[in-house]
Amino acid sequence: MPDLPPQSPADPSGPPTFWGRLTAWSLYRALTGLVFASPRRQFWMLILFPVIWVLVAHLGPILQMMQVSFLSSYPPSAGKEVVLTTANYSRFFGDSIFLVPFWRTMVFSVVLTLTTLVLMYPVAYFLARHVRRDNQLLFLMLLLIPFWVGEIVRIYAVMIILGNNGALNLLLRWLGLIERPIPFMYTNFSLSVGIVYLTALYMLMPLYSALEKIPANYSEAAADLGAGPWTRFFRVTLPLSLEGVGAGCTLVFLIATGMYATPVLLGGPNTTLFSQTIAGFFHVAGDQWPTGAAFSTIMLVTALVVAGAFNRIIALLSGRVAK
Amino acid sequence: MTRHTRILMSCIYWAFALYLLLPLALMMLMGFKDARFIGFPITSWTLDWYIGVFADRQVMFTFGYSTLIAILSTAIALVVGTWIAVTLTGRAFFGRAVILGLTLLPAVIPGVISAIAFRIYARVLGIEPGMWAIIWSHAVHNVPFVVLVVMARLSTLPRSQAEAARDLGADPLVVFFRITMPYLTPAMIGAGVFCMLLSFDDFVRSYFLGGYDPTLPVLIFAKLRSGMSPEVNAISTVVLVLTAVLGIWAERSMRRIKKQANR
Repeated sequence: MPDLPPQSPADPSGPPTFWGRLTAWSLYRALTGLVFASPRRQFWMLILFPVIWVLVAHLGPILQMMQVSFLSSYPPSAGKEVVLTTANYSRFFGDSIFLVPFWRTMVFSVVLTLTTLVLMYPVAYFLARHVRRDNQLLFLMLLLIPFWVGEIVRIYAVMIILGNNGALNLLLRWLGLIERPIPFMYTNFSLSVGIVYLTALYMLMPLYSALEKIPANYSEAAADLGAGPWTRFFRVTLPLSLEGVGAGCTLVFLIATGMYATPVLLGGPNTTLFSQTIAGFFHVAGDQWPTGAAFSTIMLVTALVVAGAFNRIIALLSGRVAK
Repeated sequence: MTRHTRILMSCIYWAFALYLLLPLALMMLMGFKDARFIGFPITSWTLDWYIGVFADRQVMFTFGYSTLIAILSTAIALVVGTWIAVTLTGRAFFGRAVILGLTLLPAVIPGVISAIAFRIYARVLGIEPGMWAIIWSHAVHNVPFVVLVVMARLSTLPRSQAEAARDLGADPLVVFFRITMPYLTPAMIGAGVFCMLLSFDDFVRSYFLGGYDPTLPVLIFAKLRSGMSPEVNAISTVVLVLTAVLGIWAERSMRRIKKQANR
C-alpha cells in the first residue's frame, strides 16, 4: 500500500466540529496526556473523586454524629471543658420518658411494615398477573401520581379525611351509624393511616417487579401436576417473590422509623415517636446536642440491625427454596 | 386462580387506588370552599384561595426558593452519581464492594437521623444553616438513586461502541461525552426528575438545615401547625398539579427516548 496520510480524529473531513477543535487544542492535549497517560493513572483519576465523596459526604456525617454522642458538651462554649463520656447513652436506659417512645417506634414500624405487606401483596399480584401488559403502566401511573406529591401535602390530605368534620365522619353520620363525630385525629389510628398512606408505594414497587419476573407458565406447570390454587401460591409464587418482600419491608421499615412530620401532625400526646424525642434535643437552647446524637445513634443501630436480621431471614428462606 | 379471586383482587386494587386518590381529590375540592373553616359539607364556592396563592409574595418566593434548591441539588447528584456509576461499572478492584456500600448508605439511613447527622456535621464544618446546607444534604440523599438507575442502564451499554471509538483515536473523555453519555440520557432524565421531586418534597432535611427562609414543605408545615385553612389546600393543590405534570412528562419522555434508542 502506498503510504496514506494518517487519519487523525482531530482532523475529520468537513468543517471542524466542537470535539475536533477541542481535542486539537494544545492545552487539552497536554492535560489529557497527563491524566490518561496509562490505564493505571486513568483508574486513579477516575476513582479519586468517588472515594473522597463517599468518605466526606456519606460516611462523614454519621461518624461525626457518633463522635459528638460521646462528648460531654457540644456545640463548644466558652468556659466548659469537653470530656469524653458515655453519660449520654446511660441517660437513655435510665428513663422511661425515652424508652417508651423508642419501643413504640420499633413496634409501630414493625407492625405497620407487616400491615403494608399484607395490604400491598394482592395489589401487586393483581397488577403483575391480571392486568394486560399494555395497561400495566397506566394502572401503575394511577398509583404513582399521589406518590410524587410530597409528604406534607399527603399528610394534610389525610387530616382532611379524618378530622372531626372530615369526610369519614360525614359519611358515617350520613349513614346514620354515629350520632356525634368520632375523634380519629391525634391517635394511633390516624398515625397508622398516615404512615401506611405514605409508605404503601415503597412496598408495592419491589413486590410488583419481583412478581412480574415470575414466568406465568411456572404456575401452569404446577397446576398440570395437580397443585390447587393455594398450593401454587404458597409453593411457587410466594417463594419466588421473597426478594421483593425483603426489599419492600426494608424500605418501609426504615422510612417509618425515620418519619418526623407525620407523628407531629397526625399523632397526639400519647403517640410520641422516638424521632420527636430526638428532635426535641435540637430545638431547645442549651447543651443537648450530644444526647440527641447518642439517641440518634441508638436508633440508627437498632433500625439497621432489625432490617439486617429481617433480610437474613428472607435470604435463609429463599435459600431453602432454592435447594 | 379462579374468577372469584380475580374479581376480589381487582376490587382490592380499586379500593387502594381510591384510598390513595380520594384524600387528594377532596383536598383539592376543599380549596374552592368559600369559608375559613375546613370541613364538610361545602355550601358555597370561590376561586379566591387559588388567586390568593399567586398573589402571595411569600408563597411565590418560597416556591422559587424550593425550585432553585431542587435544580441545584439535582445537578450535583447527577454529576456525582454518574461519576460513581461509571467508576463502579465493568471494573473489578479491591474495595469496590466497600465503595458501593458507602455509596448506597444515605438511602438506608432513616430520614430524621440523616437530617440530624447533617445538622451536626454542618456545624462542625462551619456551614451556616440555609440554602447551601439544604442543597448539600439533598444532593447526598439523592446520589444513591442516581447511581442505581445509571448503573442499570450502563450494564446494557454495548462495549463494542466504546471500543470502536477508542480504536479511532478518541481519548476516554471524548468516549464518555460522545458515546456513553448519549446512551445514558434517558436514565439521567428519569433519575434527575425523580431527584427533583424528592428534593422539592423533602421536609425533614429542609426543616433541620433551613435558615430563616422556609422551603415550600416547611412553609406548609408551619401553616398547618397554626391551623387548617383553605389557603393551605390551594397551595397544596398547585404543588400537586405541578409535580404530577412533571412526573408524567418525565415518564413519557423517558419512554420515547428509550424507544428511539432501541430502534
